[in-house]
Order: sequence, then C-alpha cells, then structure tokens
Amino acid sequence: MIYRNFFTHPQFQWVKHPVINLKFNTMLRNIYITPLIAIFIFLLISSCSKDDPVSIHEEEAITLVTLEVTKVGTSESTKYNFEVEGHDHGEEEDHEEEEEDDHEGEHTEIELEANSSYNVSIYFYNDEDPNNIEDITLEVIEEADEHQVFYEITDELSGFSIVSATNDTDDSSGNPLFIKTTWTTTGEASGDVVGYLFHEPTSKTGNTKADFGGNTDVEIEFEVHIE
Amino acid sequence: MVVSLSLLATSFCFSQECDLVLEGIVVDLHDNSPVSAAVIKVVDSKKTVFSDVNGIFILENQCSGKINLKISHLNCEDLYSTVNLNKSTSMKFYVEHHIETLKEIVLEESKLKKLSTTAPSYALTELQKDQYSGRGLAKALEQISGVNLLATGNVISKPVIHGMFGSRVGIIYDGVAIENQQWGQDHAPNIDQNAFDEIRLIKGSGVLKYSGDTPGGVVVLESKLPEIKDSLYGKTILNGMSNGRGLNLISSWTKSFQSGKYFKVQGTIKRIGDFSAPDYVLSNTGADENNISFSLGQNKILSHWKTNFSFFSQEIGILRSAHVGNVYDLVLAIESDIPTIINPLSHQIILPKQLNSHYTGSVQYSKRNPSSGKWNAKYSWQRNNRKEYDVRRGEYKNKASIDLTLDTHNFTTNYEWGSFRWSFDSGALIQVQDNFSNPDTGVKRFIPDYIKARLEGYFTTSYTPSNDFSIGFGLRYSYLNNQVKKYYHLNRWREENYEERLGAFVIRDDVSKKLVERRLTFYNFSVSNGVEFKIQPDLKLSFNFFHTQRAPDIAEMFSDGLHHSLASIEYGNPFLKSETTQKYTINFEKESGNFRYNFSPYLIQGQNYIIIEPKGFEYTIRGAFPVWEYRAVNSTIRGFDLDLILQLGERVKLSNNSSWIEGYEKGSETPLISIPPFSTTSQIQFSPFQWKSFFMTLSSKYFSRQNQFPNHNFDISVIENGKRVTKLVDISTPPKGYHLLGLEFHWGPYTFFSDKINVSLIFDNLLDASYRNYLNRLRFYGDEMGRNIMLQIKISH
Repeated sequence: MIYRNFFTHPQFQWVKHPVINLKFNTMLRNIYITPLIAIFIFLLISSCSKDDPVSIHEEEAITLVTLEVTKVGTSESTKYNFEVEGHDHGEEEDHEEEEEDDHEGEHTEIELEANSSYNVSIYFYNDEDPNNIEDITLEVIEEADEHQVFYEITDELSGFSIVSATNDTDDSSGNPLFIKTTWTTTGEASGDVVGYLFHEPTSKTGNTKADFGGNTDVEIEFEVHIE
Repeated sequence: MVVSLSLLATSFCFSQECDLVLEGIVVDLHDNSPVSAAVIKVVDSKKTVFSDVNGIFILENQCSGKINLKISHLNCEDLYSTVNLNKSTSMKFYVEHHIETLKEIVLEESKLKKLSTTAPSYALTELQKDQYSGRGLAKALEQISGVNLLATGNVISKPVIHGMFGSRVGIIYDGVAIENQQWGQDHAPNIDQNAFDEIRLIKGSGVLKYSGDTPGGVVVLESKLPEIKDSLYGKTILNGMSNGRGLNLISSWTKSFQSGKYFKVQGTIKRIGDFSAPDYVLSNTGADENNISFSLGQNKILSHWKTNFSFFSQEIGILRSAHVGNVYDLVLAIESDIPTIINPLSHQIILPKQLNSHYTGSVQYSKRNPSSGKWNAKYSWQRNNRKEYDVRRGEYKNKASIDLTLDTHNFTTNYEWGSFRWSFDSGALIQVQDNFSNPDTGVKRFIPDYIKARLEGYFTTSYTPSNDFSIGFGLRYSYLNNQVKKYYHLNRWREENYEERLGAFVIRDDVSKKLVERRLTFYNFSVSNGVEFKIQPDLKLSFNFFHTQRAPDIAEMFSDGLHHSLASIEYGNPFLKSETTQKYTINFEKESGNFRYNFSPYLIQGQNYIIIEPKGFEYTIRGAFPVWEYRAVNSTIRGFDLDLILQLGERVKLSNNSSWIEGYEKGSETPLISIPPFSTTSQIQFSPFQWKSFFMTLSSKYFSRQNQFPNHNFDISVIENGKRVTKLVDISTPPKGYHLLGLEFHWGPYTFFSDKINVSLIFDNLLDASYRNYLNRLRFYGDEMGRNIMLQIKISH
C-alpha cells in the first residue's frame, strides 16, 4: 500500500508544479549525461598504460653451491658446482656447460682416494646476475647462530667420515658450523651424501636431518667414490 | 560571601538587556524550501509571530538568556527549540513539512531493503553479531548453515559458501565490493564487521545489483540510517578471551541532529597473544588489529549525502613451525604429532607474519523523487596493502617477501523505481584498479603489476502480484580489461613453450627473464531468475536459478612463487577463459509456528571451473618442490542446507543446522579439493522463568571426516640415519571427524546508570578436545585451539 498512497495523496499535487518538473527533468538529464561523461573518462583511463616494472634480482636466494675439495698435503683442488636445475644465464654457451651440473636423477660424483684426508670448503652463491655474483657464505658465517651445515652419509660409505676442520667457524655457543670440514677415507666404497644448510635450526647438533629442525635452505645430493 | 553573591546578581541583572532581535528563517528539512505562515510562539511570553513567504520571522525586544520557541505549521510536527540569546542574531529552523506523506519513506528507509525478492537471504541477529564481534567476519558468518571457514591457523579465515571461496564470494560493504587480494587462500577479508549494523548473506549470485561474478555468494554489510532527531547513542563491547589472553574493545557512537545531519565514529582495538591447543602453545599465532571509521552525512529524506572514511590495519602471526624450507621439512612436520617449534606463550608477533591495511574513502549522494524513484551515485576509493613476511637472512631479514598495493576507484550510479507491485533497479559501475608489487622485497613478484578496468551495468526487476507470489529477474553485463606486465623466468618460459603463444607480447628481454605485456579483455554476462510462492499460509517455496560468468583472477592467470606453508610452487595459467556456473536452488521455508524449518537443496554446474592442483615437480637447490598449477575443468557441486527450530513452550528452544555437500570434476569424477565435510550443529536454548533477562545455550557441533578428496600425495626419496628411504608426502588425507561442545550464558539487558548493559560468558570447545580441521591449511603442523572462555560486556549508550 505504500506507493499507492504516495501518488494519490493530495499533498503531492505539488509534483506537477513547473519548477519541480524542471528540477525533475534536470535530474533525468543528469542520469543520462553523468554516465556518458563517466564512460568517456573510463575509456581515457583504460587506454592509459602502466610503467614497466623493474626487474627483481633475487639476491638473497642461493642459486649455486660449490664444494672445494683439496687433498691434504697437496695444493690442487677440485671444485664441484651444484646449481638450480634449468637455471639459466641467458647465454647459450653457459647453458651447455650446465649439462655437467646436478640434474634430476644424475648425481655429481666426487672421486676420492682411499686412506686419505681432504679439506673441503662449502660455498654458497647467488649467481642470478652473472656480472655480480654474491657470496652468501659470508652472511651464513656472520649469522652463525642461525645457520648450520650438515652432511648426512649413507651406510654404504663405511669408514668415511666428515668432521669440522680446525679452520671452521664456531657459533656463539662453540658449535662448529661445518663450513670447513675434513673428510677422511679408509677403504674403497661408494655411496650418497646429502649436504644441508639449515636456517634457524632448533638444534645445532644431531645425527640425522630431523634432529636439527628449522628450514632447509640448501639440499644437495652427491655420490662419493673412494678408490 | 553575601557580597559576592549580590555582586554576581547585579552583574547578571546588568547583562539582562531586553532589546535583542532574533531573526529566524523556517525551512523545510527535506529540500531547504522556505516555510511560510508558520506560527512562532515564544513559550514564556506568549508572544506570537508568523513567518513570511520567504520563511522569515523577526522577534524584537527579546531579553538575553534562554528563549523557548514553539514553531508550528499545518502538516508539520511542532518543533520546540531553545535559543540561547546574548546578542541579536539570525538562525535557521528546520521543520519537517508534509510529514504525513513522507512517513512511508521514513519507514521504508529505516528498514534495509531486501537483498532479493525470491532468493532467501540470511541475516545475523544482533546477538550472533555481537557474540562474534572479536573473532572476525568469517567466523561470524559460519553460524549460517552452508557457510564454512577456510582457515590458515586460528586468526586468518575466509568464508566458504557452498564450497566456494576467494574470488567466488563477494563481500559488499556500504554498497561497494571490497578489493583486498581476495584470491589468496590465506588472505582474510580486510574488514571490520563491527563498523556495520547488519550482516546479511545470499548463497549464490542473487544480488546482481552488487556483483555478477561471485557464484559462491554475496555477503552484504550495511549501516542503518540514523533517525532524524537530536540524539547521541552508541555501544561499546569489551571482549576478553582466555585462549590467546586476548582483549578486544569496540566502540561506536552516532550523533544525529534535527536537521538530518549525522556523524558516526567507530573504532576497534584488538590484542591477542599466542593461542594454545589443548597440549601445547601454538607459537606465533597472535594478532593485533586497529580500525577506525568515520562517516558524516545528512538525510533530508528526499535527498541524502554521506562521506565516509575508514582505516583497517592488522598484524597476524603465522604459526612459526608452519614455515618450512622444502618438502623434506614438510614430511618431518607431518610425521611429528606436535609443532616442531613450541615457545612459551607470548604476545609478541615474530616472523613469519602478515601485515595488512585497508583504507576506504567514499562520497555518495542520493535523490528521491516521490512520484518516481530514487537516484543514487557513489564514488569510492580503496587502498589495500598486503605484506607477507617470511623467515629470511641477512639484509632481507625484516623485509616483506610480498608487498602488494592495490588501489581501486569505483564509481557507481543507479536508479530505483517502481510501483506497488513492480520494482526496478538499474545501474552502472566503473572501476579502475591498479596493482603494484613492490620490487624492494628482493623476491620475484608473486602477483604482477596490472591495471584493471571494469565497466558493468545491471537491471533487476521483481513483480509481486499478491502476498502469496513473487517473481524476480536480473541481469548484469561486465566488460573487463586487464593490462598485465609480467616477468617470466627463462626456464619456465622454455619448459612451457611460451614462446609460441606469448612470444609476440614480449616487450623486453632481460638477462634471465622476459617481460611480457598483455591486454586481456573479458565480456561476462550473468542472469538471475527466481520465483517464490506460498503453498500453505505458513509454507513458502522458492526456486532460483543463477547463471554466472567470472573472468579468471589475475592470480589464477599469473601467480608465480613459493608457498612456505605447503612447500609448493604455484603457477598461474595465462590461457584461462571465463568460468561459467549455473546454480539451481529450491527452498522450502516454514517461517511460523512452534516448528519452523528451512530446507534448501542446490546443484551447481561449472564449465571452465578454475581449480589448482599439483602438476609435477621443480628441482631447486633446496630440493624438489611440487608444482601447483591452475587448470579449468567441468565441475558439479551439489548439497543441501537444513535448519530446524522447535520451540517447546516459552522456555526452551531446540535448533539444528546441518549441511552436506559434495563436489566433483566431471569426466574423471575426481573430488574437488577443500570441499567442507558434512557438519551438524545442535543447540538447546533455555531461559528459566524467574530470571527473565537471562538465558543459556548448550551447543554441539559435529564435523565428519571428509572422505571425498583428491589424492595429491607423492613420494620423496631421502636419506635418514644413513639409509635411503622413500617417504610418502601425505598432503591430501583429511583428518578425523570431531565434535565440539559449547556453552553460553547471557545476562541482560540491565539498567546501568543511564545505559543498558549485557554480559555474556561463552565457553568454546568446552571439553578441550584436540582436533584438526580439513579446511585449515596449517592442519599438518598443529591442532586447533583448545578451550576458550570468553567474557563479553556490552554497554548500549
């Protein structure tokens, strides 16, 4: 009943008043003209363009891990590189070299001699921009309390051991970081080793990955051949 | 003493001059037109004057001090006004002219308009709204059957309506859809529901007035218009909770004037510490929130203007142990019964966390012509900023990994008209959106930079020939233009062979990536139809059909990044097309009598329905990560909602809400992910006679185990204790069903000085049950929160 009352009520005779009518026409005109203006503005805006976003270099991410293996008593060292699969520097020449790197299924093989000792250093890099390679190892050492390197060795490598080297970095509680390690071999064997870098581990010591907690920042797997 | 008193008296006498002139103008409140022949009477002196044709009157020889005036006019309510006169002055007096005929408009405006003539809408009662005032919008909505929560931890939750969430659910506040990166599963709506008087919901795209691309449903938050009179009122709610040691204070005040002007201010402060599961602390799950909103307006009945500004800000901790580095970490977390990191309870929020802010500013104007209809125009601006912080190293330690700023400009206009039986509403929306992804994060953009322009128009109508029958129809057309600039990494580019299809859009080649610019346009069309009739005097039956088209979200097309909580890499699919859904619902509603019920089965058919699912692995230096990618499928969702109420005398009320739903991908019959399990909630409400202002409620919630889920599990090979072992990464199996008891006591209202006070004591998870929820994305890491005792004090001023 609401609306019926509305139109028939004598009070509303004033609606037919010329001034009111004029007002009403103006309003109707507004209803049509306002959207037209708005559409025009819309087309203007939608045709305008956004600035090109700047390219982001993910400097913090580790994209390359290097193991530098030096036999004790010699000065010759071998470097083993571990990179992100399909990681690309944008140049075709580089791409071919990468075929040697760690890809799914095929593991990097590290050849060691029996009954020997090796000094092994692990390095973390960001090589997203090949002209400006960042050494993240320094940051890891700087934040020694929040990082831990751990090598997990399979049982097949019996007699093979990895211990912290004398020139290794210790954290504030005296736990070695395992950045610099000494690898000792005995008899012939071959098996897998996984190298981890943990961030904010809940424990700095342990025998298997689960003991450390925290987030895994690096997980590299390689085969060790002792001959 | 005597001297000083007499001095005071004489000084008073001296100031009592009686040659002051009060010039007044009497105008109509609604259109400012002068009111002639009004009778202005000075109450104390019996002096009477009339206003002239210009509404002007002059009262001469008035003494200083207070004068009481009574202004009367034919067809107007008498206006009493007190003027404090100390010099000659002129004033404006507003009278409400033609009050008789406007009464109906006033009455109509005081009620909120129905969201839909034929589709049932569900509103939260004041009690339901207040009870959840400290727990976020989604939790408040969960009280409605068919609405579930998709949670990330305990604080972040978003509504799931009939199995749909995110971009498929629209949240409309004050007539405008909130734009706050709603695509994200771990993005809670950046809105304070306490700034609004009413929270209503339609399951399905039944409100084409507001949106056509939300097949899940529409949540509408609105404020009532203050009455036209001089008054000041408000309410303050203080919530304290035992779990999380949290406090939450909400206060809102409204000042209204006889002239129709009003001013509203509302604020919320929330501080919550770490929540606790029954057996341990859920470390870093606290939250802080600070919100404020103002509005200023004038309601002249025939016209109304309003400006509004609001600011919402929130800092939410994410369960510390849910931040994992790789899939092996995830396996260890799943294998561990308790979170891998448990710290003592704290109110401090550490990393990882989210920092969200949302600004809104709007102006609106509406004009009503009593003979035809009402025209409304509104401009609103929204700025949403979302920062997500991960656990990072070195100089990036305290930098966000995701930092998105989304600016949205909306211009809407509509015209409503109708007659007794017919009603029409037609309008348009122009929206321009600009998303900026801050490059300072040092992490590749999860969402690219884009500009989105949207032009939409709608028309809805309803016809109600009798009280027993009504029919509704609506359509909405949408034109969408996205301009996106995104960097693709070369490895992804090659793997997906993007060169073939996207090569033409490359605008720049970088060292290891390509910048692609794309302009994507979508034309979408949505229709809603419905009919409602009474088959018995108290039994209503309605049929509704919604056809909805939704353009793929920017996230669905272009997302690119790592989820630390699931150790997964997410990729958008740049070739997606608009998603189409048809929803059919039937609703039986018995709305009176001692036994009331509402039964609504529904069926949703989707074409090009966009889902995300695992697709292979990506090998990184951190290990192998599962890749999740968006894909379009044909889908079927069906289910029913059932609400029962049984009133046993005056003292006892029994009620039950149950929902059942299932969703499948057509063809392969694979279940859809994140479909809520069957749930049923029963309540007994009891109010003893002797205490009229007291009642208590005992509730029981049962959620069954979800047995229909897609199996996305996979194996990984790891070395553990020197042995190579294969481990199953079980990210699919839903947790067991669970049962929760709740108890509530409500006292009040009691008179408290000049105010009213209500007190509630609420026990959630009364038995301190340990359980995990299938719809919580962090369910792999820890239990849900244990018992929570909440005390709520509400003061209505």
